[in-house]
Amino acid sequence: MADAPTRVTYDYVTRTIARTLGNPTRGYFLLLGAAVSLLAVGIVTLLFLLRYGLGLAGYSHPVYWAVFITCFVFWVGIAHSGTLISAILFLFRSGWRTAVYRTAEAMTVFAVMTAGLFPLIHIGRQWYFYWLVPYPNERGLWPNFKSPLIWDEFAIGTYFTVSTVFLIMGLIPDIAAVRDLATGWRKKLYTLCSVGWRGTNEEWRHYTRGYLYLAALATPLVLSVHSVVSWDFAMAIVPGWHATIFAPYFVAGAIYSGCAMVITLLVPIRKLFQLEELISVKHFENLSKLCLLTGSIVGYAYVCEYFIAWFSGNPTERAAFWYRAFGPYWWATWTMLICNAFLPLLLWVKKIRTNLTALFVISIFVNIGMWFERYVIIVVSLAGEPYTPWANAVYNPTWADWGIMAGSFGWFFMWFLLFVKNFPTVSIAEVKEVLPPPRRAGARTHA
Amino acid sequence: MDGMNRRRFLKVLGVTGAGAATLSACGIGPEPTEKLIPYLIQPEDQIPGTATYYASTCRECAAGCGIHVRVREGRAVKIEGNPESPINRGRLCARGQAALQGLYNPDRVTGPMVRNAAGGFAPIAWDAAITQLRTKLGAAQARGIVFLTGADASTFGDLVDDWMRQVGGRRVSYEAFGFEALRAGNRLAFGTAAVPDYDFANAKYVLSFGADFLDTWLSPVAFQNGFARAHGFDGGRDASMAKFVFVGPRLSLTGMNADEWVAALPGTEGLLALAMAQVIVSRRLAALPADAGRLAGLLAAHTPSAVAATTGLEEQLIVRLAREFAASQGGLAVAGGMAAQYANGAEIVAAVNILNYVVGAVGKLVKFGPDLAAGDIGTFGDLAQLTAEMAAGHVSVLLVHGANPAHSLPGAFPQALGKVGYKVSFSSYMDETAAAADLILPDVHPLEQWNDSRPRAGVYALQQPAMQPVFPETRHTGDVVLSLLGRPGSFRDHLQNRWRELHKRFGAGKSFEQFWMEAVQHGGLYGDVPARVVRLAESATRISPAAMPPEGGGDQTVVVFPHPVLHDGRGANKPWLQELPDPVAKIAWHGWVEVHPETAARWGVATGDFLLLKSPFGAVKAPVWITPSVRPDVLAVPTGQGHSAFGRYAKDRSFNAFELLRAEANGYGGRSFAVRATATKTGEHRKIVTTEGSPRERGEGSVEVLTLARAKALHAGDHPFHHEETPEYAKEAVEWWGERQVEKAELGNYRGEQPRWGLAVDLSKCTGCSACVTACYAENNLATVGEALMQRGREMAWLRLERYWQTDEAGTPQGAVNSPMMCQQCGNAPCEPVCPVYAAYHTPDGLNGQVYNRCVGTRYCSNNCPYKVRYFNWYNYAEPGGQWEAWPEPLHMLLNPDVTVREKGVMEKCTFCVQRIRGAQNKARLEDRNVRDGEIVTACAQACPSEAIVFGDLHDRNSQVYKLAGNPRGYHVLAGLNTKPAVTYLARVVNNG
Amino acid sequence: MIPLPKPLHDLFRPPPTPGVLGVFAHLDATVDAIKTLRAGGHTEFTVYSPIPRHELEDALGQPVSPVRMFTLVGGIAGCAFGAWLTLYMSYDWPLVVGGKPVGSIPPYVVIMFEMTILFGALSTILGIVFNAIFAARRLGTIQWDPRFTNDKFGVFVPAAPGAAAAAEALLKGSGAEEVRRG
Repeated sequence: MADAPTRVTYDYVTRTIARTLGNPTRGYFLLLGAAVSLLAVGIVTLLFLLRYGLGLAGYSHPVYWAVFITCFVFWVGIAHSGTLISAILFLFRSGWRTAVYRTAEAMTVFAVMTAGLFPLIHIGRQWYFYWLVPYPNERGLWPNFKSPLIWDEFAIGTYFTVSTVFLIMGLIPDIAAVRDLATGWRKKLYTLCSVGWRGTNEEWRHYTRGYLYLAALATPLVLSVHSVVSWDFAMAIVPGWHATIFAPYFVAGAIYSGCAMVITLLVPIRKLFQLEELISVKHFENLSKLCLLTGSIVGYAYVCEYFIAWFSGNPTERAAFWYRAFGPYWWATWTMLICNAFLPLLLWVKKIRTNLTALFVISIFVNIGMWFERYVIIVVSLAGEPYTPWANAVYNPTWADWGIMAGSFGWFFMWFLLFVKNFPTVSIAEVKEVLPPPRRAGARTHA
Repeated sequence: MDGMNRRRFLKVLGVTGAGAATLSACGIGPEPTEKLIPYLIQPEDQIPGTATYYASTCRECAAGCGIHVRVREGRAVKIEGNPESPINRGRLCARGQAALQGLYNPDRVTGPMVRNAAGGFAPIAWDAAITQLRTKLGAAQARGIVFLTGADASTFGDLVDDWMRQVGGRRVSYEAFGFEALRAGNRLAFGTAAVPDYDFANAKYVLSFGADFLDTWLSPVAFQNGFARAHGFDGGRDASMAKFVFVGPRLSLTGMNADEWVAALPGTEGLLALAMAQVIVSRRLAALPADAGRLAGLLAAHTPSAVAATTGLEEQLIVRLAREFAASQGGLAVAGGMAAQYANGAEIVAAVNILNYVVGAVGKLVKFGPDLAAGDIGTFGDLAQLTAEMAAGHVSVLLVHGANPAHSLPGAFPQALGKVGYKVSFSSYMDETAAAADLILPDVHPLEQWNDSRPRAGVYALQQPAMQPVFPETRHTGDVVLSLLGRPGSFRDHLQNRWRELHKRFGAGKSFEQFWMEAVQHGGLYGDVPARVVRLAESATRISPAAMPPEGGGDQTVVVFPHPVLHDGRGANKPWLQELPDPVAKIAWHGWVEVHPETAARWGVATGDFLLLKSPFGAVKAPVWITPSVRPDVLAVPTGQGHSAFGRYAKDRSFNAFELLRAEANGYGGRSFAVRATATKTGEHRKIVTTEGSPRERGEGSVEVLTLARAKALHAGDHPFHHEETPEYAKEAVEWWGERQVEKAELGNYRGEQPRWGLAVDLSKCTGCSACVTACYAENNLATVGEALMQRGREMAWLRLERYWQTDEAGTPQGAVNSPMMCQQCGNAPCEPVCPVYAAYHTPDGLNGQVYNRCVGTRYCSNNCPYKVRYFNWYNYAEPGGQWEAWPEPLHMLLNPDVTVREKGVMEKCTFCVQRIRGAQNKARLEDRNVRDGEIVTACAQACPSEAIVFGDLHDRNSQVYKLAGNPRGYHVLAGLNTKPAVTYLARVVNNG
Repeated sequence: MIPLPKPLHDLFRPPPTPGVLGVFAHLDATVDAIKTLRAGGHTEFTVYSPIPRHELEDALGQPVSPVRMFTLVGGIAGCAFGAWLTLYMSYDWPLVVGGKPVGSIPPYVVIMFEMTILFGALSTILGIVFNAIFAARRLGTIQWDPRFTNDKFGVFVPAAPGAAAAAEALLKGSGAEEVRRG
């Protein structure tokens, strides 16, 4: 960002970003209210599920996993771009991440928080969820570490912890910066959160090192988490699940949906907080390039699945994929294909890449497409399970499914909205890092 | 099986009527008790936690199968067949087992009731009720007093006759399906109206003209057992399995077990039979009886060429059938069911009798002498006449017991009822007839009463109360009649007095007490009557079974057939039977009309669309079920549903097929169950509950079929269905690796010698009758979920019967393969490793344990089960008063105390009746011995009328199941997945020779 | 300010250190100041900056942070813990599932991996915290200016009241726009 206008100084950066923390407008409260009421819907639905049982949802034999698990995978997927942008791009030293990674990271943390709820909601006896945790108990029984669900538990747990501390680490110097501008209760809050950061050389020395290693750890983690999630399915023998391609396929899909979600969130934030100076169109272009890449990988994976199903000559595989494309769920499959594989091809056009409205719309479609991808993989594979012709069903979600799903969106956006108003949505320190440092007049510049 | 018998015998020994009496004495009533051990003074024959078995007789139909009622802590919890009974040989059908739900039915009439001024019912004291009845009878002054009973060839029936004689009335007995044609046909052919016994077990060629002898015809369990011996490949006989050809307009449960389906035009079955006889006689294909010559004239008029056109069958086919039938040297032809539903039904039966006669089956396989009870039932003609009298106001007092004509004769009978001065019902349920009565004197349930019956000449079956009446205010009608007769003592005393006569005849050298005790212990007195010789009657030579079009206008032939489990509707108030998918249509909780695909295409109707069927006598709206198993020009509808009363499970459900039928009797006093009607689309649609998957086998190894020739060619050690996927070079490595895996798993409890429980299911014996399904419901406390949840595939049946049509080149089904699909208890179970909490795990004796208390309900196990035999508790089906309650009081009393009632949110599945396994193991441990082969019998295996299921230890090289598992016909479902199932299926063998 | 128990108080609010604080507007000026200070034999001075800059690191020439050791040890410990968790818990009550060995390594690798990451990350955080806190403890309570988190650089030179003047001059010389004593 060496070409940035000279008026973008350290001070300008600090004050611009600090300004986003000003007192919220009515619009903000409207959004927050909407989010909270969605959450309320979810909570009421959950109470019904707890009282009467999961039968209220649309499950029908043999479709024993459906919308809840779909949402789980969807949210975990969303959670992936954050760490990718902050960690992997950090290791690659790509400057453009600095303006967007904070949003992405916050999104990651809240998305994992959302995803983590679904396994608890979807199990039959929700009040015994803690039996999946290895704790010494009177039954003398430990969890079964051969079960992919336990892998899940560990992967998601680790991912949540690590991405959270990663977010907090990045925040500390910025909180210190806003602390020194803030007044009143915010001052108290930030004083507490900034844990006495002063920016001494000692602090920076350990901080930068530690941050590097965190990034180095988070990188394999982010790849592992969605691989593990994919193994929930790949480890099962259900045709349409049992495929070695799943890990890379899911990781790519996750990053794809994540980037799309980042765009969906950043476009309005940039507008509302007038961050045009800091988040330039170039950033969006880079994000959309990332989408294009991962989207193509996903598209390739789709082709691969069908090719292998045909090439393997395995009748059940073939039956499963035929059912997918032309069975009663053809609409879901084709929605997925169009939204994920075809629509993003528009991003080859620079005009579209650089048109935020277009990007916003496309990103929404990708989100929808990715939700349907999971729906197709989970529901359709089970519904058309070709092993036993006498155990097939056509599954239809009910109000309970939709209620919980709405609740999850409410829960996510509630946290996100609270975050953007109270913490720097763009990294102050790191944006400064890519600015030319202040030098005495006439001094030669090297940034 | 004999270890089995001994065990049972020991259980039954020492159990006498006194047992039940003591129980009632010490006040463990039906009321659920809070105490762990409810006894103050413990009756000597009751040990808490130990079951007592009472021998009795099933009264769900006239077949009179012997039963053992399993009683725990004073409550009947299961009904199983009595191995000593010569009728059912220890087996029992779905209807018999469901009698429990009649006993504990939440809609039972709990006490005497009288119609009050408001037109409703008000409770009344027994004495008052009886006095009222007595005065009414007095007022009638011996005019127009009629007692209407069901089939009741019993001491009770005789008592009723005595009483009617005394009060100057008469008794009419009525069954909706009364086999009038059969009796009339026998009179035509042999001059006797008796119903003979049919020896299927020794038949070499079975030819059924519409007779559903496996589901509703005469004595289904006995016949099925015999049929399995004859038709099952190596079913007790040498490998010469009988061929079974079914002639009829649609494939019933019986029909779908045929090797060949001959869909003759409805009503022309008799012509076919005569034509076959003609071929046999004219070509001397069999050793003809001396008097066969008298038939010459009759047969000459019925050459194959002559009847080919009318029957719609090719001449060669008729000739071939005749040749096969005669050549088998053991042909048995039976007629009934659909073939005997027309105005010419009697002639058709007579024609079939002639066919039997010419091949010499009469006397060998068709045994007059040991006649069946069905012969004693009144005819539909009697009821029609009674109805006419009632309508004319000639009947002043009508007493009804064990019959519900208001449902099976809708319209006419209820109207006539209105004209009857005083109507008394002894029904235990508020059925349509009872609802119209003036006085209801609820009888106790057959499981609560003393009685006897004569299912077959020579067999005297006893009924004893298995428990104290669930509702103390109900009373044995026998006792009521006795008090009205003014005779002292209870019906039990009366019964004993009657049995003193039997004691004189059969009790040589025994005191009566001893004789009586033994009879009670064994469930009756089982004697044999020699077959008597019958000769062709004169009338036989004059029959003319020419096709007669069914009555009624309209362009469609509609056949009304008895529902295999709901029968004439008496089963409709039992959730087990309602939820049991029909063995053929796989439809539950609703009726349907069978439409051939071509017809459906022509009319543009889909499965679930409602058709309005209109006959001159009535109309019904029925949802379409499209199936190739019915003639294109025929529509078929089942009876059983469409009740306007009869309790929560039956009321206002679907349609009553009897509406379509003519209320008058036909020539031979029977009822015509085929009518001409019009069918019109209504535009209504309903998602009918069906468990049917894709009806034909998808070639994924779900079921395997062999032709008789191939099956015979198999030698021990052959594995025709064994597909080896591992290449030779890899085999050794794979085996080595497998052994290492096993070693690494031999830890803790898994060390050392262990049994490996397994099942063998012989598909060549399985008929798909679904008795095993009901047995599983009864044994394992399976919840019934009702129609709405079943529409979402939430039924809990651990055992699913998969029906796959076997079609010919034209795509017409020639029969079906039925495959009971329960948990395969895999050696390498995919369901186990995916469970995060070890709720699904492998027990040392090779079961897939499912620990309900451990299960958190992730449902991953079901997703990973290729057989899809795991079922989830979506709601709390046991919540009292809950919306989805499966056992409303007092239905919950039939819950098996040995099996957990599952909670909401847990997965469940077939356990191989682990409670029975552990029970037997504990018993063996106490007696310091090993478990004997055949000592453990799962509920499904126990019930199976065709003995198709065998349970045992696959590690015991002498066990029956081990031998069967090694049978060349054996295969595992989806063996390619290397799940190593413990269930071996033996391929079905089709005799298409 | 929140009152703290004694040991923590000593840790977080160490006794004041007398010295001179120079506030710089420009990076290169700060770098010059550091160079001259080090030339002048000063070692114990502190540099404030809103962001980490290589120029400063180079000028200060400090050794690499010991945080990496924390990461390494944490990671190894995590992996070991994962192995113990899975294997011990499998053999504690052997239950066979799906005909697989009771303790089968391949599935357990996943747990070991996740534990490696988790422990590694957490101990890294600890590393940062401890090192930063103890560094601060060494320095004692020193002068600081809120602008340092925004756009100003700062250099604090601990100096006894006597030696303060020299330090002041030095900082001014290298272009401090403001010098404070305290």
